[in-house]
Amino acid sequence: MSYLSHLYVPGALALWCALAFALTSLWGYSLVLRGDASALPFARRAYGFYVLSMVMVATIMAMLLVIRDFRIEYVYQYSGLDLPTHYQFASFWAGQKGSFLIWLIWGTLLGLLVRRGAGKSEAPVMGVYILTLLGLLFILVRENPFVMLAQTPRDGQGLNPLLQDNWMVIHPPIMFIGYASAAIPFAFAMASLWRRDYDNWAARAFPFALGGFLVLGTAILMGGYWAYKTLGWGGFWGWDPVENASLIPWIFGTVMIHGLHLERTRKRYRRANYVLATLTFLSVLYGTFLTRSGVLADFSVHSFVDLGISRWLIAWMAGFALLSAYLLATRLRQVPTEPNEDPFLSRGTFMVLATITLLACALVITAGTSAPILTRFMKSPGQVGPSFYNQVNLPIALLIALLLAFVPYLTWKGDVPRAVLRKLAGPAVFALALAVAAAIWKVRQPFHLLFLFLAALALATNLHKTVAKYRAGGLRGAGGYLAHVGVGVILLGVLASSAYDDSTKATLEMGKPRQVGDATLTFTRVVPRRGSEREGMEIQVARGGKSFTVTPRMFMNDRTRQLMVNPDIRSTPLADFYVSPIDFDPGQSTLQLAKGQSGQLGDIQVRFERFDLEADGNALAAMQAGKQVTIGADVVVTRNGKATPLKPLYRLSPGSGQVESVPVDLPGGGGLAVAGIDASNGAVQLALVGVQTPARLSVDVTHKPFIQLVWGGLYIVLLGGLTATVSRLRQARQVDRAGETA
Amino acid sequence: MSKKTKPLYLLGTLLLLGFAGFSLSSFRQTLTPYVSYARARQGDRIVQVAGALEKGSSSYVAQQESLYFSLKDPKTQEILRVRYKGLKPANFEDAISIVAIGRYDEKAKNFEADKLLVKCPSKYQGAEVKTYS
Repeated sequence: MSYLSHLYVPGALALWCALAFALTSLWGYSLVLRGDASALPFARRAYGFYVLSMVMVATIMAMLLVIRDFRIEYVYQYSGLDLPTHYQFASFWAGQKGSFLIWLIWGTLLGLLVRRGAGKSEAPVMGVYILTLLGLLFILVRENPFVMLAQTPRDGQGLNPLLQDNWMVIHPPIMFIGYASAAIPFAFAMASLWRRDYDNWAARAFPFALGGFLVLGTAILMGGYWAYKTLGWGGFWGWDPVENASLIPWIFGTVMIHGLHLERTRKRYRRANYVLATLTFLSVLYGTFLTRSGVLADFSVHSFVDLGISRWLIAWMAGFALLSAYLLATRLRQVPTEPNEDPFLSRGTFMVLATITLLACALVITAGTSAPILTRFMKSPGQVGPSFYNQVNLPIALLIALLLAFVPYLTWKGDVPRAVLRKLAGPAVFALALAVAAAIWKVRQPFHLLFLFLAALALATNLHKTVAKYRAGGLRGAGGYLAHVGVGVILLGVLASSAYDDSTKATLEMGKPRQVGDATLTFTRVVPRRGSEREGMEIQVARGGKSFTVTPRMFMNDRTRQLMVNPDIRSTPLADFYVSPIDFDPGQSTLQLAKGQSGQLGDIQVRFERFDLEADGNALAAMQAGKQVTIGADVVVTRNGKATPLKPLYRLSPGSGQVESVPVDLPGGGGLAVAGIDASNGAVQLALVGVQTPARLSVDVTHKPFIQLVWGGLYIVLLGGLTATVSRLRQARQVDRAGETA
Repeated sequence: MSKKTKPLYLLGTLLLLGFAGFSLSSFRQTLTPYVSYARARQGDRIVQVAGALEKGSSSYVAQQESLYFSLKDPKTQEILRVRYKGLKPANFEDAISIVAIGRYDEKAKNFEADKLLVKCPSKYQGAEVKTYS
């Protein structure tokens, strides 16, 4: 039992209890399915104990982190004595095991909601749902987070400085709620197929699908904000595999929401929704596999390296892929659907077109992210960069904007083209005016103008409809339109801030104003560290008659000697002025020169001619005799256009190894001395006294127009989603009530 | 499928096929394969090369705002001279491995990198990677 002795028993015990109770609950639900209705309370109680066990696991883990018990390998790896207490939470999910743990805990707690929301189909839904949790639970039992070290280290290794951030405390747990929630519609769908109970699952899963969309969207918004505001990546989206791993399920989830809506209102998409729920869930697993298995370690900014769990992830993913493929293949044809009789110009057709477009979007992003795997079997594996995603998503965005612009004025029954066009006239005038204004500003590319026109059109028509709906009956039916207003706003913001930003890299000398783009920047001082406030670089900016100060941070992490940078942003409603530090040179006063080489230090140019071995007797002879050796360095110093030959001396006593340097005065003040000789390269090291190069700060200065629209638009989308969730929850309850009375 | 909607389905299918073709060509164009230095020297496309930084080989030329350094292939011990048009990334000297994405310039006899991935030794996740472009 050597395995046991390496585990922290209370934690491991709680984890094993969780596994046992989860299996018991699964068994209980299977009894119910076999017709033993009395097993239901038993299965529920077992699930309750499972929840308790998982809460215990989390509590023990959190406690071990808070008391900094470095016996535990995980605590040792991700925490340290100098880590502030609130970052202990970030430590919880900083590592592979901890992030799986938080994911599983959310999944476990969400199970309580699923149990309630499942109504009469509780047994099959919970059965499938517990199966999805077991995948994670098995991984955790195998890769136990409570592994102990043989000896107790005095201090932990500390948390990666990049992760010591308030966003890190909040962003990952929300992301994992989103991931965990993707299993819910999947469980509903699979249970429905399995039991051949094809009605009602969609209405029950709808609020969960919307909730998951909301949470995942919030997490993505936070991630983008974090990358932009703190990490200094310059943008809100880098098409990094880890970012894509969260975006792909979100897009599939968006398609699923629309599919469920079509099913609810039109009885269409009844078969497709099973596929969509499956795709959403599997894409979460696939994204996890991509980013956690190490397959992308050479390609991603923040991918984990393989910790030996890839085969478990593959088994987990393959298991559910096979299960769902089997159920879809055998049952899907039995699902009754109604033939499509929607005319082309109708809301139904346009929604179907939009979902197909979004599916194409999710698929190309998946293909791009998988490029290293797809090309693995070719001669040289490769990856695709942001330009791929930008290229392929441009036509998708255009089409989406076009469809969104029409949808508010279409009815389910079908419409006369003329009537629709007449309604579109008002918004079109607005969009055209905006396009003209943009053309006057600086948008000249016809494609961009078209993009802008369509996005503005979508914004205007949906806003019109939102207001109309709101006037007619409050916000209840307006959620979808409101979300679409947000999409229009985001598209405008993305175009303006990414295609019309201008970025300049510049090196600023301390105290010397420098023109960067349309602004004048002066690096004024290094602001010393004050408490938890890190060192900053104060820069005075004069721009368009206004002046302000930005203080991007740049500091060395004490533990890892890693240079950390945080940008500083001057935000106005119309644009962000974004200053991100790249490099800092505190100034130097030495020069290393080879024979015949010149160098510049401040206002002085120094040229090293040669060593003078006859400066005070022959140096070689002195060396052989074991006497003091004197070597001169013939240099030519140029200052203010005047060249002066100088000869600083360097004395070496071979016996004692003592070194003496005789400085010479520099014309115009200061001195020059030989600091060292690199005999093998024939180079000299010169130290300047009283002359120093000024400190230099290299920065990336970016002007990002209309970036606020991206954030604002996302907020509107989420607000619209929230409104829709509230009204769908009400409808789901009505389904329950109808079920009870029937 | 009615007679009226048939051409629409056809059009939709064509559009989807067109998009698939467009995506595929875009994929092939933007794909940057990992290649050997010898292959990179052909300079016919944008590729990525990986290697260890030759100690002491890097120098920053302020006038050109460029960073010059040499990459060494850990397997073949081959050397590739790289020019990166940008500022020296933080922790550059500590890098255990550097990935350069760009194209070989036949005239200048060096690899012109547009983007660098600098991997620093870090106990946290095996290797910490930062991208600079």
